[in-house]
Amino acid sequence: MSTQLMTANHAAGLAATLAGRANRRGRGFGSGVYPITPQTECIEFLCKQDIEKGHVVRVESEHSAMAVCIGFSMAGLRAYTASSSNGLAYMTENVFAAGFYRLPIVMMAVNRTMGPPWNIWVDHGDTLMLRDAGWIQLYCEDNQDLMDLSLMCFRVAEDPRILVPAMLGQDAFVLSHTIMQIEVPDQAQVDRFLPPLDLPHRLTDQPRTVGGLDFPHEIEQHREHHAAAMNRVFEVYAEAQDAFEAVFGRRPADPVVPYRLDDAELALVSMGTTASTARAAVDEARRKGIRAGSLRVNLFRPFPERQLAAQLAGIERVAILDRDLSPGMGGILWGESRALAPRDALVQNYMLGLGGGDVRPEHLVAVIDDLAGLERAGAPIIQEVA
Amino acid sequence: MEIRIHGRGGQGGVTCAKILAAAYARMGKSVQAFGDYAAERSGAPIRAYTRVSDAPITNRNKVYHPDHLLVLDPALLGEASLAGLAEGGSLLINSPDPPERFAERFPGTRPASLDCTAIARRHGIGTRSVVIVNTTIAGAFARTQGIPLEVLEGAYEDLGLAGDLPAALEAYAAVRIAEPRPRAAVAGAVASPPPAPRTVAPAASTAPPPVLALTAHTEGPETGLKTGDWRSQLPRFVRNLAPCNAWCPAGIDVVGFVQALAREGPEAAAGILAEATPLASVCGRVCPGFCMLGCNRRDYDGAVNVRGLERWVADHAPIARAAEQPTAQPRRLAVVGSGPAGLSAAYALARQGHRTELFEGESVLGGVLRTGIPGYRLPDAALERDLQGILDLGVEAHTGAFLGQADLERLSQDFDAVILATGLQQARDLDIPGSELAGVEQGIAFLHRSNLEPGARLTGHVVVLGGGNTAMDCARSALRFGADRVTVAYRRGRSEMPAIREEIEEAMEEGVTFRFLQAPVAFVGEDRVTGLELAEVELGPPDDSGRRRPLVTERRSRIACDHVLLALGQSPDLALLPEDWKLQDGRAFRSGEALNVFASGDLSTGAGTVTHAIGDGRRVARQALIALGEALEPLTRPDRADAVPRERIRFDYFARRSPAQLRQAAPAERIGGFDEVSQGLPDASEAERCLSCGSCTYCDTCLIYCPEGIIHREPDGTYAIDAEYCKGCGICLSVCPRCGLEMVT
Amino acid sequence: MNEPALGGIAQRAQDRPEPILRPGNTNCGGCGMSIGWQFLSRAVAHEPIQIVIPACCGIVTAGPYPYSAYGAPILASTFASAAAMATGLSQAARLNGEATRVLCWAGDGGTYDIGMATLSAAAERNENILYICYDNEIYGNTGGQRSSATPLGAVTTTTPIGKEVGKKDIVGIMAAHGIAYAASLSLAHPDDAMRKFRHCLDLEGFRFLHILSPCPTGWKSEPADGVQLLRLAVSSGLYPVIEVFDGERTVINVEPSFSYEDLATYFAAQARFKRERYSLEAVAARIQRNWRRLRVQAAASAALAEPLPEPAGAPLAV
Repeated sequence: MSTQLMTANHAAGLAATLAGRANRRGRGFGSGVYPITPQTECIEFLCKQDIEKGHVVRVESEHSAMAVCIGFSMAGLRAYTASSSNGLAYMTENVFAAGFYRLPIVMMAVNRTMGPPWNIWVDHGDTLMLRDAGWIQLYCEDNQDLMDLSLMCFRVAEDPRILVPAMLGQDAFVLSHTIMQIEVPDQAQVDRFLPPLDLPHRLTDQPRTVGGLDFPHEIEQHREHHAAAMNRVFEVYAEAQDAFEAVFGRRPADPVVPYRLDDAELALVSMGTTASTARAAVDEARRKGIRAGSLRVNLFRPFPERQLAAQLAGIERVAILDRDLSPGMGGILWGESRALAPRDALVQNYMLGLGGGDVRPEHLVAVIDDLAGLERAGAPIIQEVA
Repeated sequence: MEIRIHGRGGQGGVTCAKILAAAYARMGKSVQAFGDYAAERSGAPIRAYTRVSDAPITNRNKVYHPDHLLVLDPALLGEASLAGLAEGGSLLINSPDPPERFAERFPGTRPASLDCTAIARRHGIGTRSVVIVNTTIAGAFARTQGIPLEVLEGAYEDLGLAGDLPAALEAYAAVRIAEPRPRAAVAGAVASPPPAPRTVAPAASTAPPPVLALTAHTEGPETGLKTGDWRSQLPRFVRNLAPCNAWCPAGIDVVGFVQALAREGPEAAAGILAEATPLASVCGRVCPGFCMLGCNRRDYDGAVNVRGLERWVADHAPIARAAEQPTAQPRRLAVVGSGPAGLSAAYALARQGHRTELFEGESVLGGVLRTGIPGYRLPDAALERDLQGILDLGVEAHTGAFLGQADLERLSQDFDAVILATGLQQARDLDIPGSELAGVEQGIAFLHRSNLEPGARLTGHVVVLGGGNTAMDCARSALRFGADRVTVAYRRGRSEMPAIREEIEEAMEEGVTFRFLQAPVAFVGEDRVTGLELAEVELGPPDDSGRRRPLVTERRSRIACDHVLLALGQSPDLALLPEDWKLQDGRAFRSGEALNVFASGDLSTGAGTVTHAIGDGRRVARQALIALGEALEPLTRPDRADAVPRERIRFDYFARRSPAQLRQAAPAERIGGFDEVSQGLPDASEAERCLSCGSCTYCDTCLIYCPEGIIHREPDGTYAIDAEYCKGCGICLSVCPRCGLEMVT
Repeated sequence: MNEPALGGIAQRAQDRPEPILRPGNTNCGGCGMSIGWQFLSRAVAHEPIQIVIPACCGIVTAGPYPYSAYGAPILASTFASAAAMATGLSQAARLNGEATRVLCWAGDGGTYDIGMATLSAAAERNENILYICYDNEIYGNTGGQRSSATPLGAVTTTTPIGKEVGKKDIVGIMAAHGIAYAASLSLAHPDDAMRKFRHCLDLEGFRFLHILSPCPTGWKSEPADGVQLLRLAVSSGLYPVIEVFDGERTVINVEPSFSYEDLATYFAAQARFKRERYSLEAVAARIQRNWRRLRVQAAASAALAEPLPEPAGAPLAV
């Protein structure tokens, strides 16, 4: 274990490298990569590594990047890729394929605004578009998450009780290109944390057609199995947190992360780096005598419904902060979580930092002030921060 | 009103549903039409549905309780297709069977039927293997439901199917409807019981099978989908008629013996030859080779040298003991004449265990084979070999037994039956001035002399008149007897010569000169012939024989000669028969009463070849036995038109390769004596050129090409087709190099 | 036996004990792809294979879960991804020291159209994959729409008046990648076909095989006629049977007779070609042009064997 200064992109690339090497005792590691801003540093890093029993394929598109990972994973290898924004959109078909093949591929996605018009800064709409692809989704808050949650993703996705792919979102530039100190594990630790992958349904030399036709009855059953695997994630995730702590001496983030919620009357619910800003705003509001708290949604799929509801119990006013917009509806996090607040609570949706606008604590203090003064919830609000 | 259609992929069931919907829409109804979409392809069972109502339709379900059923393929009729049909519901079936049959089979329904496939096929809708019957059966349905014709026409136009309307109208006019039979009191056979309510623990048979998670699945079992249900035709291996077999007048299984030679060797081939002929050694030398004229390889790279192969078999296999078929009731039969017809008849009779006696006027057996065919073509040893095979069967031969009228009369009384095979003993004369001169001789008399009296000599210039095999034999024998020069004069052209082509060629090689289109008009000489006057001939329109008729002109020429041999044809000598016998259709009659006396070979047919005589001898032997009450089928010749035509042979598979040539002595050498000119083929590899038309050789082509991979070799080396899976595509037949299969519906 | 073309294809050591495509599949009767599978089964012996098949008739024929009409491990890929998924499988085999041979089996849509970029990239990377395109010149699985492999004049559900442009030269395109082997293969020429299957199965690197595959349903032809149609396509010169080694050496394997009659028969036997919609003269002219080019390529291949003169002058100083 050592402390190193690096960008979140490098942290992700390093995590993938360590995880990849760890599977040298298994069937090895494979990756298909294709560049897109702001993910490039991650894959450039990966391409420079010497990974025993590992291979990185430099493909011609995101669609093929995921396809190559599917090929690796189907053969029982640990597989990894990274992308962002329109790259994810181009990849989408195979993102779904990876989910429904039940392959424990891990993908780092730098959250970036979908274009056109072109914009390279943070927005969560790209990965949220993939929420129904059958993947685990986590949203990082800081650089360390890129290391820790990457390893968690491999561990949980590859657990024989789960076997679904996992996607790790991080905010473009705010994390991806920002250097910070990171606790970097050594290989022996990672080897202990990540046992060799033994994919039970890998393609062997047995006659079989993987991914052929399903009639309605079979689709019903397979979706049910998939949903059940997702529901087991909470339990497996918790076990993995314990194991992580035992090996690395620190505990990765819970599915939802509360801050000063115990006595709060008012809460800000958010994902990614907004959660850090929200904590600052909460402190500021508390200084002004407002009993505010914050709740970070770390695990978005499976959706931690029960945990969210428990944390929001007793809260009177809830602001759900989205860095995304589903036009015609509102914020996606809001859409999914608004019903989890207490029945008589006031729940208002604010969208901040769309297109990479820099969300500062004062913006969120203003949100708190606004929320505190509302008589009743209104339509979703786009809060400009530029 | 709900209609359900059962068809096969490719028959157009969904379009049929749309036609019905379009028709009802024109009648102001609210309609709906749709199909089941699944993974199956052309030929697989599919369903389609039409729903018709006075009120707007809100039901989006499939049809479980149809008022009307259309069944596009009768093979789909069954519990599953009839499930849910309402009492008294109508049932329209595409079938040539009358509707009454279905009324009986499915009481409580109102069946109608029509052979829509035949109509659609006639109108060219679809392909050979998948006839599209949707537009036809829709026409029939319209009639059963009283949909006006103009509505139907409009519906077809609406859907852009006007081209198929004639078939629909034909169906409209032709469909027949049966009165329903009352359903028996016992449990209904048609309507399926309503589905049992799901209980908490459903019976195993009705519960959907559990589905494993994808992650638990490591091996896929076979689908077990019996695609054999899709097909409308099934291939099977058959033996189609080979042209060589169709053409052989002797009835030899030519393709059979050649293939046996190629695969198993001369003994097996000899066994097949012995089924039809006792004279393989003879035929292998002197047969004109009709089979070779019919050979599908002829126009590709030359006919298989079957004659050479037959000789190879005779020369290299021991005399075949044909499998005997002993009769329960041996009879006594006499055969008069030991030429090819007589020998063949005697052989056929003896093989069946009948006591057979053979009467020959000459001192040796063989008839024309002995007296007419020179030794350089047919050596005695070759003939003796075949004769031995016949005598080995127990035929009792009487030589030197020239029978007169009284003798024949006696034979007909002493024997159960008599077969006369005395051949053509009457040589045609030439009625022109000088024919009585010395030195003018009948060719067959000359050949008889030359064959039976060794040491004869002939000098000077010999002219042979005629163009048949006898003429060639005379010419070439004359050379061998010392003639200085031999000329053949023939009144037609070379291509009209009836002689075997090879005989003509060999004669030319040996120095015989030919004068074509020359007719003799007078012999010249005092006591002895010294010359011949010839008239030029022009060829007119074809005569009865199909050859162009010679027209003698006034342009004359004269050639000097020392001998003239007449080879102008022969005819039967009927003076041998008792005066009150009359030959009619190959049988002797006395005062209108049929005698057990039969004529065979040239005496009966005048066909003039050894091969024809062999076939006829066998046929007449069979005819005689039938007349005596034996339960046998008459022998008939197959129709050449039924033989596998050239177009059905896949020549692409066969590299061009010239026929094997006979080994022959040089012409100058061979005219020095009567040694056999030909030494036969150098080996039997010529047999490998046989295409085996119509007969499977287990070449594996079908096995390789079957798209389903369901043609297998059985342990005995033959093929089996797995009918459970065969989709009936017909690739196997289409790729077969030799047409060894057929498709059956 | 006097079928030189078939000498010893069947029942040999190269036969796979279990067919790759089993009976009970849902392909139409007379499907050219099915014949291709039977041929391939006779080339792979008992050696392990894995096959990637994109969304097409080739995967639908496997039947529904959990069954498999394939007697081999098959990965059903997304439409465009066959060569990329095969890349993963192939690299995985290499990393694990496994002899598994990875194949792609894709239709013309998955090859010429939607899969082209993926295919081209895998070829450029020289992945160790044998990519086989069964070309039925149509989107068969979706009911018969035009692809860029659909020939000039063919009527499809999306070219109701006949296609107005011809098809791509897929072998030329693939050969231009400089891959180890690119060839077209005629199922009507079983000797040549089997030789090619066996040859390229044993090669390393990216290999490409193009198989013209009769589709009775899409071509609107008799199911039984498929092989004969192929023969006509070859003899007329419409479908050149060639192979290109390392992107540079072109060999013509079957000399056509350029029979105009065969060409006419080929068109007449398929109802997808409407007489009033195509010009045989125009097709024949295209064939001529194509073959002139092929002849030049084949002749140039011979020149490739000749050594070039030494470069003049000294190497450039850097």
